[in-house]
Amino acid sequence: MNIRSLQLGFLSSILAGLLPVIVSAQDNTSFTLAKSIQDRVAKGEKPIIRVSYHDVSNEFAPFIRKGVEKAATDFNVDVKLVGPVGADAEKQVSEIESLIEKGVDGLAISSVSTDALAPVIQRAMAQGIPVVTFNTDNPSSKRLAFVGQDLVQSGRVAGKLLADTLGEKGNVIITTLDAAAQWSIDREKGAREALGKYPGIKILTTVTTGTEPQQIYGSVENAMQAHPNVEGILSLECCSTPAAGQYVERNGLVGKVKIVGFDMLPETIRLVQGNVIAATIDQGPEKQSYGAVSLLLDVLKGNKIHDVDTGAVVYNSKNIGDYVVASKEHK
Amino acid sequence: MTPEAIPKTASKPVDLKARIRSLVAARETGVLLALLVICVFLTFGTNSFLTVRNLLNVGRQISLLGMMAIGMTFVLVCREVDLSVGSTYAISGLVTGMLIIRGSTLVPALSAGLALGTAIGTINGLLSTYGKLPSFIATLGMLSVVRGTALLITDGQPVTVDTTQGGRREVVNQFYELGQGQLFGLIPMLLVCFLIVAAIAGFVLAKTTFGFRVYAVGGSEKAARLSGIQVFQTKILTFGLMGLLSGFAGILSLAFLPSGQAGRTGVGLELDVIAAAIVGGASLSGGEGTILGTIFGTLIIGILRNGLVLLSISPFWQTTVIGLVIISAVGLDKWTALRRNE
Repeated sequence: MNIRSLQLGFLSSILAGLLPVIVSAQDNTSFTLAKSIQDRVAKGEKPIIRVSYHDVSNEFAPFIRKGVEKAATDFNVDVKLVGPVGADAEKQVSEIESLIEKGVDGLAISSVSTDALAPVIQRAMAQGIPVVTFNTDNPSSKRLAFVGQDLVQSGRVAGKLLADTLGEKGNVIITTLDAAAQWSIDREKGAREALGKYPGIKILTTVTTGTEPQQIYGSVENAMQAHPNVEGILSLECCSTPAAGQYVERNGLVGKVKIVGFDMLPETIRLVQGNVIAATIDQGPEKQSYGAVSLLLDVLKGNKIHDVDTGAVVYNSKNIGDYVVASKEHK
Repeated sequence: MTPEAIPKTASKPVDLKARIRSLVAARETGVLLALLVICVFLTFGTNSFLTVRNLLNVGRQISLLGMMAIGMTFVLVCREVDLSVGSTYAISGLVTGMLIIRGSTLVPALSAGLALGTAIGTINGLLSTYGKLPSFIATLGMLSVVRGTALLITDGQPVTVDTTQGGRREVVNQFYELGQGQLFGLIPMLLVCFLIVAAIAGFVLAKTTFGFRVYAVGGSEKAARLSGIQVFQTKILTFGLMGLLSGFAGILSLAFLPSGQAGRTGVGLELDVIAAAIVGGASLSGGEGTILGTIFGTLIIGILRNGLVLLSISPFWQTTVIGLVIISAVGLDKWTALRRNE
């Protein structure tokens, strides 16, 4: 009996895995808003929107939250940031499930794992709850639209920047918190594509640093020890960018090893100001969550929506002052 | 003590033989051998392992882990375990950092961080003794409570110790010196701190009455109680010490980096800390473990991490290899222990 039920379970889990594919294959018609939501909108009730971010405890979350709070005041909606502490797809899925049960008028979702989140997004859409993705897309889920950076393109921008900084030649290593994560794969693809155009540039290796700060620094240090001939470091995310800068700064390599990285952490800003990091790329995280809420409100109004690219703004020592001034005014 | 104990009348060659035998039987020898094999392999397998620079890097990389593994050795010898150390490490550093960027001077900020670490450890101890909770459960709960509190007090924002964030220049510089300075312009301060902690802890565990009590409590709680040892008090003290060392490591980490984030700093560290102590010969069933063994265990983990990168081995393999080493080190230890007992 046990084996039998196991087999059944196995079979049904395969079927469940196939289900989204089947559904999406048939689902070419447009999405229809649930009747209950339509009624609420008609009555002029305050829309309830939840923004589910894949890790509310990471460095990026405060930026995302800022966008959510701004949307709450600008649009006068009931909007809250939700999501797991520590990237955990399972917890995120169950939270979204309970939100669907409770009833919301719209969901904005950023997924740490596209595969794990796709079915629940599908389910929400099937029940007439509009879903858009932000920051990290989930194209296989047939969400209505995506607000965020074109990750492959941002990788290309970073690669091109590093190549220019290096004078189109030199040995390069790529660092990332997690080489196996979808965002990292996308950015690395773009970066390698851009760097590959220069025959003088050689990519030695991709270093996965792990996510714990001491480990990140230690991994950069070990990688530099293993490859003493490195002339350029391309960091694919927020958190190995300052670590690479600190390593270069502390080991007398400023000017000898050029760095291009991502995002606007305080240490990164300081290192860009000091010309230790040649350039960093801002993906406008506040705009991502803000834009996602704005798109959902458009859906409720019955408007058609499209993907929004929040761009890749490049900051170096010359223009980083503008960012610092702007963020101070924001506070 | 042991069957091999040497009679005073024994002639010199026998003496030497017996000494070698007791050396081979010593707990640390197996770990040391494994460590040496890894080092020899890396020396010939890479041309960057055996350099002063790299060895000092490794020394610095293992310092914080080592400090906490030393605390964990006390806890494990007592037949308890502490899973909350990664969270304690994070919150102590973050609180110290927040005080500094709010304009505090160095000593109050450091004292607050250390006191907080010690307090968390003491709570763990109280829960695991008077609270009647298994320490696995008590500290698992505290892991979450402390991590959550760290997120609450920082509001999820990274804490960066910097003059632009509000720290006083001289205080920030002193703090940096603590984490990033070098003794004689060469030896990293973190390594210096680790060596001092190791020396003190080694002495305390091996030579003092308190150390003796820790072994006695872990060996047999009942026997310890019957012989008049205050079991609860001893346990609470070891948990307090663990908290103090986690706090100290967390503060040093922030002084080195100098930025921390409540959602990332020290996440998962407890497993590395326990692994280092276990590889070094400490036993989950209590009563066994030495500071020297733990230092070797920490070195094995640190050197493997460093060496696998130097060998350009994929990070996925690194994770696998470290797991295999934990299993084989402990397996080897059990196997030799069985032989010793025969």
